[in-house]
Amino acid sequence: MVNLMRQVYFLIVFVMLVACKPKAPENVYTAGEADFSSFTAIGDGHTGGYMDDALYRDGQENSLGTLLQRQLTLVGASDVSVPWMETGNIGVNWNGQARLLLGYKTDCLNNTSLSPLRLSPQGELSSLSTSAYNPSSKFSNFGVPGLRTIDLVSFLLGNLNFVNYNPFFARLSKDQFNFPGSGSFSTYQENVFDGGYPSFCSIYLGIEDVLPFAKSGATSNPMSPVAGLPGIGFEESLGQLCQQLHAQNVKAVIATIPNVSEWPFFNTIPYNGLKLDEDKAASLNQIYNPLGFSFVVGDNPFMIADPNAGMFGVRPALPGEKILLSAPLDSVRCYQMGSVFPFRNEFVLTLDELNEIQTRIDQFNAIIRQKAVAYGFALVEAQNFYNKLPSGFAYNGVTLSAKFVSGGVFSLDGIHLNPRGNALLANEFIKSINHSFKSNIPLINALMFNAVLFP
Amino acid sequence: MQPNRPLFIWTAIFALSLFNTFFSQGFQVNFQGQKQQGMGCAGSALMQDASALFYNPGAACFASASEVNVASTPIFANVMYVDSSTQEVFRTKNPVGTPFAAYALIQSKKSHRLACGISITTPFGSTVQYEEAWIGRFAITRLAMKVFHIQPTVSFKVTDNIGVGAGFVWSPGEVELEKDLPVQFNDGTFGHAKISGTARGFGYNAGVFYNSGGFLSAGLSYRSGINMAVKTGTVEFQVPGGLEANFPNGSLTSSLPLPSVVTLGLNVKPCKNWNAVLDVNYVGWKTYDTLSFDYATNTSSLLDTKSARRYKSILAFRAGLQFAAISDESGPKLIGRIGGGFGFSPVQSGHVTPETPDADRWYGTAGLSYVFSQHFSLDASLYATKLQRADTNYETGLSGTFTTIAFCPGFGVNYKW
Repeated sequence: MVNLMRQVYFLIVFVMLVACKPKAPENVYTAGEADFSSFTAIGDGHTGGYMDDALYRDGQENSLGTLLQRQLTLVGASDVSVPWMETGNIGVNWNGQARLLLGYKTDCLNNTSLSPLRLSPQGELSSLSTSAYNPSSKFSNFGVPGLRTIDLVSFLLGNLNFVNYNPFFARLSKDQFNFPGSGSFSTYQENVFDGGYPSFCSIYLGIEDVLPFAKSGATSNPMSPVAGLPGIGFEESLGQLCQQLHAQNVKAVIATIPNVSEWPFFNTIPYNGLKLDEDKAASLNQIYNPLGFSFVVGDNPFMIADPNAGMFGVRPALPGEKILLSAPLDSVRCYQMGSVFPFRNEFVLTLDELNEIQTRIDQFNAIIRQKAVAYGFALVEAQNFYNKLPSGFAYNGVTLSAKFVSGGVFSLDGIHLNPRGNALLANEFIKSINHSFKSNIPLINALMFNAVLFP
Repeated sequence: MQPNRPLFIWTAIFALSLFNTFFSQGFQVNFQGQKQQGMGCAGSALMQDASALFYNPGAACFASASEVNVASTPIFANVMYVDSSTQEVFRTKNPVGTPFAAYALIQSKKSHRLACGISITTPFGSTVQYEEAWIGRFAITRLAMKVFHIQPTVSFKVTDNIGVGAGFVWSPGEVELEKDLPVQFNDGTFGHAKISGTARGFGYNAGVFYNSGGFLSAGLSYRSGINMAVKTGTVEFQVPGGLEANFPNGSLTSSLPLPSVVTLGLNVKPCKNWNAVLDVNYVGWKTYDTLSFDYATNTSSLLDTKSARRYKSILAFRAGLQFAAISDESGPKLIGRIGGGFGFSPVQSGHVTPETPDADRWYGTAGLSYVFSQHFSLDASLYATKLQRADTNYETGLSGTFTTIAFCPGFGVNYKW
């Protein structure tokens, strides 16, 4: 009797363990009204995986274009084809420097703390002089760092001798580093359409038409004009691309330009980050009281150069004005930059400058929206994603924000998204595609992708 | 017949595996008596055995003899989570839960009016462990909660028809909570946090029982809420070296409120071999409003947390039938039972968490008892439920559907003298 009961008991245990699992639903992913079989990502470094102030392999692997396409493979897209950088992940930027990573840095006051450092003294220079072009495998990610909308039809982009030369374009161009006299140069767009039109495109352009100006503190790299022929003005440059895609029955998703001045590069140093004790406040008051400025113990606005500010061209920063992350922090800590010596114009965006940048972004975005409607493209309001960041938002148990380093979304350059940020932005593209083309493409679990790594 | 052997086997198994229990309405576990479990977990109005010490102390004095009663109900529960945005499927790999109940009831031979007893039960707790790298890993990876109620009880027959009883509840417990942290080592692996602590709480259990002596009996019982205070918990972090100063290991305090339960029960005996029972519970879950952790050392990365739970008090309805299939001159020999119930979920929309993926639920039960002799009898029961809950959590942003299936076969042994 007891034996029988034991057998029954173990039989029940077995049945319970095996039989009572909830059944998973069968996922049916569909392409809807779109054909993703040949996908191409058109864009700048934000599409191509530029991050931590360099283009490097892991960044490319986790770029907006690559993550989006990998997800589209669930509904028929082919696998990614990317002008890969070397697997050593050193990376390279416009100045030949290696990528940033988080390390220990000792500042002029002998305080050691975590800070973005260059991975090595020199970047992956060989990648800027070696062609990545492969005639038998067309690239699907044409994200080229620094690409402006007005560069799309430029014959100068791959020509070393011209001021607009872009080495990141030259390395993927079918010209394979033609030097002047050895052949003709093709445009970005010719490369994208070389050998046939894609069936579906993502278009994320326009950031580079305003960002270099903003990063220079509005001192150089003028923003692209709105009007003018293709190659000169934003509207017609973007228009001819969209028109061509539409004429070839290419479906697309296009994104508006986010408000770049809200990114950590422009928001990590507060305008009133000048902390003073009694002595320092007194000595600054001695200097500046005659000019009508006074200082208190505690937080004070930094002093900035502004040619329009009275006789001396100096004034305290106003709330809302930006001190850029390019400002030399050791000079601030130890050599009285931002106080005795005002921040130079290149490290500051004043309210007028911010207004000028925002106005241009708004003009560009109005054009992008209008093209999307005219040509039936899915539209991503990129700012809707960025809007959630300043106050932070909960995502699967993690609070993500625009905070530099710890926010979990931006890479160490404070401008480009990290892999996790790219996955989140790719989700916005997928949502828009699903909505416009009635497809069912699942979103990406962004927490599977890295944020900033700590030593 | 070797009555002691199965008892020995089961207790050995259960002692080894510690007990891990499945959440049943919140994290309440309603497995304290095999006979009640067979009848939809109802029984505050029907004096069955020593488990009356739990279900209604007022009924315990109606016991016909002194008795020892030990039972356990292994819980086979699987939770599946389907994330609404990624459409990915994740599952728990919970260990088999083994809540148990043990009772000793001594009937005063002199007066037949007084009974004393002690019970050890596990009316709250759960172990939930999700698979590796599941999407909610930063909310929780594992929760193991164990709560014992040790309850000495006195029950007194005021008249031949009315009994009252009360017990003091001493409630020791343990809790362990683990989750991954969204900070990454250089190789990309995530940090991890583990909170553990022991908890203490006190309460009481009281009841009134009315027995017409034939057709009808009724019961009213009240189990008080208990505040399980964690006074010396510890928190351990695994984080990159560069962040160790931000996440100091140390101590913390917390508390977890267990709700009060009011039960009104009715039992009718329409004909000789049949009983029908109904219990209505009112569970005071409203007390579980906030889960807070107060760390001894705070940093900019480690702040005290207050998570909204906002449970609401709920009603649950439980009903069952009992039928004596075979009887002889000494009484019933083989008894069959069937029942079921419905309970509202205390967890409100926006507050469903992976550790308690609760929902309104229907469940069904069945049971069997065999009386071998006037001293010895065996009970068995089976409980089955399936529940589903779709929600987006306000605090974590987790958005998806939890589906839970649970089978709980229970076994018990009674010895009377």
